[in-house]
Amino acid sequence: MRQLRTWSARIGVGFSRACAVAAVGTVIPAVWAAAIALGVRWGPGNPWSWLAPVVIVAVGTLALSRPVCRAVRHLVARWTGTVVPAGYREAPPVTRMATGHWWNGFGYERTRRDALMDQKWRIRWNDPATLRDLRFTAILPLTAGLVACLPPTGAAAAVLGLGLGAGGTAGRLAGLLGLLTAVAVSPYAWRTIEPVAVRFLRPSSAMALAERVEELTVQRADMTNIQAAEIRRIERDLHDGAQARLVGLGLSLATAEKLMETDPERAKALMKEARAGATASLTELRELVRGINPPVLSDRGLVDAVRALALDSPLDVTVDADLAHRPDAPVESALYFAVAELLNNAVKHAGATRVRVSLTWGETGTGTGTGSGTGTGAGTAIVVAVEDDGRGGALVRDGGGLAGLRRRLAVFDGTLEIISPAGGPTRVTLEVPCASS
Amino acid sequence: MRIVVAEDLYLLRDGMVRLIEAYGHEVVATAATGPETLQALRTWRPDVAVVDVRMPPSHTDEGLRAAIAARAELPGLPVLILSQYVEQLYARELLADGSGGIGYFLKDSVFDADQFIDALERVAAGGTAMDPAVIAKLLSGGPSNRRLEKLTEREHSVLGLMAEGLSNQVIAQRLFLSESAIGKYTTSLFGKLGIVDDGTNNRRVLAVLAYLNKD
Repeated sequence: MRQLRTWSARIGVGFSRACAVAAVGTVIPAVWAAAIALGVRWGPGNPWSWLAPVVIVAVGTLALSRPVCRAVRHLVARWTGTVVPAGYREAPPVTRMATGHWWNGFGYERTRRDALMDQKWRIRWNDPATLRDLRFTAILPLTAGLVACLPPTGAAAAVLGLGLGAGGTAGRLAGLLGLLTAVAVSPYAWRTIEPVAVRFLRPSSAMALAERVEELTVQRADMTNIQAAEIRRIERDLHDGAQARLVGLGLSLATAEKLMETDPERAKALMKEARAGATASLTELRELVRGINPPVLSDRGLVDAVRALALDSPLDVTVDADLAHRPDAPVESALYFAVAELLNNAVKHAGATRVRVSLTWGETGTGTGTGSGTGTGAGTAIVVAVEDDGRGGALVRDGGGLAGLRRRLAVFDGTLEIISPAGGPTRVTLEVPCASS
Repeated sequence: MRIVVAEDLYLLRDGMVRLIEAYGHEVVATAATGPETLQALRTWRPDVAVVDVRMPPSHTDEGLRAAIAARAELPGLPVLILSQYVEQLYARELLADGSGGIGYFLKDSVFDADQFIDALERVAAGGTAMDPAVIAKLLSGGPSNRRLEKLTEREHSVLGLMAEGLSNQVIAQRLFLSESAIGKYTTSLFGKLGIVDDGTNNRRVLAVLAYLNKD
């Protein structure tokens, strides 16, 4: 009895799912059929009878391919748990130039709206994912769509032949056959959608590779810009600060040397001034070095450097660390500056009083969604979580500090996730994959 | 005083030796690496040692670790750390053993020879000498020690100057108060911090420790 109930439940669920797949799979063929029917109806001789169907087929297919694919991805993920990444290209930020024009990554436009529209279409046409979607919409009705049509067709035949008694004995026989088919096939018919989606809808390895190359190119450009800006900053600081002071110091000493015999008092005053200048330039150089490579970080590594940050912070910062060994120096440095900036944010923006920083080794991909989905599988990662009790509402905005952090971590394939509901608390998790030995 | 100077840069080491000798003290040994420093401190047991934090072979905190190791073997060995950078973390580690005779200064402090020699003498006498930079960082907010919350503003500033290693007389001059008033403030702040005079501990050092340990 219980087994019977399970079977009927399976058949019921399977039937409804098959209907859903069949509906999704036949939307576009239905548009085509409608277009052809319209053409046939207008008959030969009417110029619209061939032009209108072509336009309807083209526009309908293009407009519907993306929603259909999205629906399939959604259904597959919901029923089987298999996530088929969409892999659509993301739009670069639209920025306003000094001339007042808007730059969207492709060209300049007069208004923001135009720039966004232009960008949307250009990305759509250049995106290999669009082609993939179109291919899938052509394949879907012939494979999973066709199989999924069996249960509803069988059910329709049963209703027609048995229920309404159409077609006499042959009709009844066909109805019975349809009913049997529908019952037997229902639990399985919808399942074909998964392998088909995985095979044809998932970005191929070549596409994934191409996307990865593009991503890395962007990252490299980002990094080059960041480094160039950093070098300019250092150069400017040295030029305006320590260098100028040392020149002044040399001048004071030269003057003091000259005055030594004639006016020892003034010479002494100048020497004192020179000493003050040397102290000041040392202070400046010290700050500069701290900004490039904090001494505690190179002496002691990330954990003690973060502890030192905690000591320097005006907030009550607790540090939990469980790192048996040090990550690579560039990763250490990136994480250190990230934590420094997050602590700074907690002071400046969140109005927090307590902060908890934890540093641990963890598995990659344990977080929710790793973004591009091009991860190299499970591995070891260093995970840094910074949690404050501030007012929350932190957002990753283009050109903002958090976006900058994310870009810097992206160079190491790292991710930044932020959970910051309005009213707090804010929790930021940084994860950078790296070999644990 | 018999002094050991540990510094890897020849120019600075030589300059410091000359400066110290100009003030009539004796440099008994110099060291240029971490292991050499530890060895020199063990053999010479100087009245005070001047040690740089960053030294070969690792060019990290070799000197600091040598100083801490030497103090573990010879408790109370007076050490004045001179560094390009002053880190609270290092200051706390140095003071962790609770005994006196510790100084931690920026290298710039040698520019003011009087101040430098004065700090050396204070450390040699078992006192503390902290760079104003460390104290300033502690004073500029930060989750204040719960015990420190009980102190009045005046007691706070007295403690800050005491942590730098200044004597009551100098503190009195700085705050434009009489020396006996400073004495009263120190007694009351020792009481509030729960530091009792049992004749073994240096109360001023304990006060600085209370200052450095936030929790």
